[in-house]
Amino acid sequence: MPAKRRNLELLLVIVACGIVGAAIALVELGALGHIEGTVLLLGTSLGVLALAMHVAMRFVAPEADPLILPVILVLNGLGIAEIYRLDIANHNTGWGASGVRQIAWTAMAMVIALAVLVLLRNHRVLQRYRYIAMFVGIVLLLLPMLPGIGATVNGARLWISIGSFNFQPGELAKIALAVFFAGYLVTARESLSMVGKKFLGMRFPRVRDLGPILVIWLAAMAVLVFQHDLGTALLFFGLFLVMIYVATGRLSWVILGLLLFVGGALIAGSALSYVQGRFASWLDPFNPKVYDAIGGSYQLVQGLFGFAHGGLIGTGLGQGSPNIVPLAESDYIIASLGEELGLAGLFAILALYMLFISRGLRIGFAGQDDFGRLLGVGLSFAIALQVFIVIGGVTRVIPLTGLTTPFLAAGGSSLVANWIIAALLLRLSDSVRTQPGLIADR
Amino acid sequence: MSELTYLLLRFGFLLVLWAFIFGVVYALRSDLFGSRVRRTSGEQGNQPFVASAVAPPVAPPVAPPVMPPVAPASPPPGGGSSFTQLISPSRGTDGTGAPTRLVITSGPKEGLEIELSKEPLTIGRSSASGLVIRDDYTSTHHARLMLWSGEWVIQDLDSTNGTFLDGKRVSLPTPIPLNTPVRIGTTSFELRR
Repeated sequence: MPAKRRNLELLLVIVACGIVGAAIALVELGALGHIEGTVLLLGTSLGVLALAMHVAMRFVAPEADPLILPVILVLNGLGIAEIYRLDIANHNTGWGASGVRQIAWTAMAMVIALAVLVLLRNHRVLQRYRYIAMFVGIVLLLLPMLPGIGATVNGARLWISIGSFNFQPGELAKIALAVFFAGYLVTARESLSMVGKKFLGMRFPRVRDLGPILVIWLAAMAVLVFQHDLGTALLFFGLFLVMIYVATGRLSWVILGLLLFVGGALIAGSALSYVQGRFASWLDPFNPKVYDAIGGSYQLVQGLFGFAHGGLIGTGLGQGSPNIVPLAESDYIIASLGEELGLAGLFAILALYMLFISRGLRIGFAGQDDFGRLLGVGLSFAIALQVFIVIGGVTRVIPLTGLTTPFLAAGGSSLVANWIIAALLLRLSDSVRTQPGLIADR
Repeated sequence: MSELTYLLLRFGFLLVLWAFIFGVVYALRSDLFGSRVRRTSGEQGNQPFVASAVAPPVAPPVAPPVMPPVAPASPPPGGGSSFTQLISPSRGTDGTGAPTRLVITSGPKEGLEIELSKEPLTIGRSSASGLVIRDDYTSTHHARLMLWSGEWVIQDLDSTNGTFLDGKRVSLPTPIPLNTPVRIGTTSFELRR
C-alpha cells in the first residue's frame, strides 16, 4: 500500500515536471521565438530536487499524501515560468532576474521542507513548544517594526533587510501562530466551549473567556495600524477565528470575531488614509480621479485590463503584455497568468489550489489526535484564506491588500513558509496512517 | 515557427494542465465518492455469511443470493458464539470471513476506524495501548483483542467498570461476532469486514 501511494506520487511528479518544462519552453517560444537552454536547465535541477524529495519521502514518510507534492510543484513551476516571462519583457538577466532568484529560492525552500520532514518525525512534539511558537510568531510579526532592520516597501512595513538580503518574516509567523493556536486551543477548548449564556439560539462565551480573542484582535489591529498591512491582519485574525470555531464548534465565536474585526477595520479605515484609498480603488476604480491618484487604482485597473485581454483561453505564454502592471511578478502574478493563460488557465490554477487545500483539510479531518487535526485544518485554511485575499483583491471581489499568492508569487520568504506548510501537512498525513492506535480523548 | 504551431502548443498546454488536474481528481476519487474497493469486498464478504446462515455446514455456494451490502443491524438470534461458528466454515475456504477493521460506533471518536492486523490490540487509558480511550470509566489496561485461531476474541483485563459485548459483561475471553457492539466506558465499537 505505501509503495502504491509513492508510485502514484512519482508518476504525478514526473507529469508535473513535464508541465513546468513545457510552460518555460512555451514562454521562450512565445516571447523570443526560439528555445534557450539556461532557464530550462535551471528548471531541470529543480525537477531533480523534486525527485530527490520524492525518494527521501519513500524512507521518512512512506504513507504521506501522494498528491500534495505534485500539485505544489505545478503551482510553483507556473509561477517561475511567468516570472521568467516578465524578466524577458523587462530585459532582466542573470542574478538580477527575479526568475533566476525564484528558482534559487525554490531550491532552498524544497531543501528546508525536506529537512522539516526528516527532522520532525512526530508532529506532536510541536505541541510541547506551543508557547515558544507564540513568542516566535509575535517576534516575527513585530520584527519589521524595529528601526535599523525594518524596511518600508510600497507603504507597508513588512520587510526586514540586512545588507542586500530581504525577508518578510510575517510569512513564517503564520506557521508559528498556527502551531500556537492549535496547541492552545486543544487545552483551552473545554472552557471556551462549555460555559456561557444562551442568546439568540447560540451559546455566547463568558466575558472572562474573551481574553485570548481580544489579545489576537489587538495584535491584528496593531499590524493594521503600525505596519499598514490589512492583508496580514485579516489573515491572522481569520486563522484564529477558524481554528477556534473548529475547536469549539460554536458559531458565536465567529460572529463575535467578525464584529470585532469589522468594527476595528472601520475605525481604522476612517482614520488611516491608506485604507480609505484601498476602498476607493475597490469601489470606483475607473473614476479618472482615483485612477490617476498616487497609490490609486492604476495597478488594479491594469490588472483587470490584463484579464480582459486574456479572455477565455489567454494570449498564450509569452505573447501578452503583463509587464504593464506594476509589481506584476509578485502581487499581480495572478493577473499576468490570467492574461497569458486566460480564464481556462486561471481556473486550472484555482483548481490546483482547491486540490491542495482539500487535501490539507482532509488530512486534518482524518487526524487522530486533536492537536494534529487542528494544525492540519489551520495550516490549510491559512493558505485558503491567503489565496482568497490575494486573488479576491486582484479580481476586485474584495479591497486589494498586499499578500503574496502562495507558491506563485516572486518572493523567498513566502516560498519557504509555504513549502514548510506543505512539509508539515505531509508529515501529518504520514502519521495519520502509521500511528498504530487511536486516541479517544475524553 | 509558425503561428499555427504555437496556437496548437498553447491549446495543448492548457489541455495537459487540465488533464493533470483531472488525473489528480481521479486519484483521489475514493475520498470524494467513498471507497469502491471496500464496498465490493464488503459485498463479497457478506455473501458467505448469508449462505452459511442458510445452510451452515456446506462451503459457500458458487452463486450466493444477492443481498444488500449493509449487514443487518442486529445480530441474528442464537447468540454471538454460535453465530461465529456458523460462519467459521466459510472462513477456512477463503480469507474474506475474518473482520479486518474496528469501527468506533459511539463515543468521542465516533466514526473512526482501525485496521486490524494479526497482532493483539490492547485497549485502555494507558498511552501504550493500541486503542487509547481516556474517560472516567476506563481502566489503564482495560481489555485486549486477540486473534485466536482465526477469530477475534475480547478479553477483559480485570477492569473496574467492565467490558460489555452486546450488553452483556464479559468475564472470560469471548469471540466477537461481526457487527456486534462492544462497549468500554462511553465508547462502543464493532468489528467489520
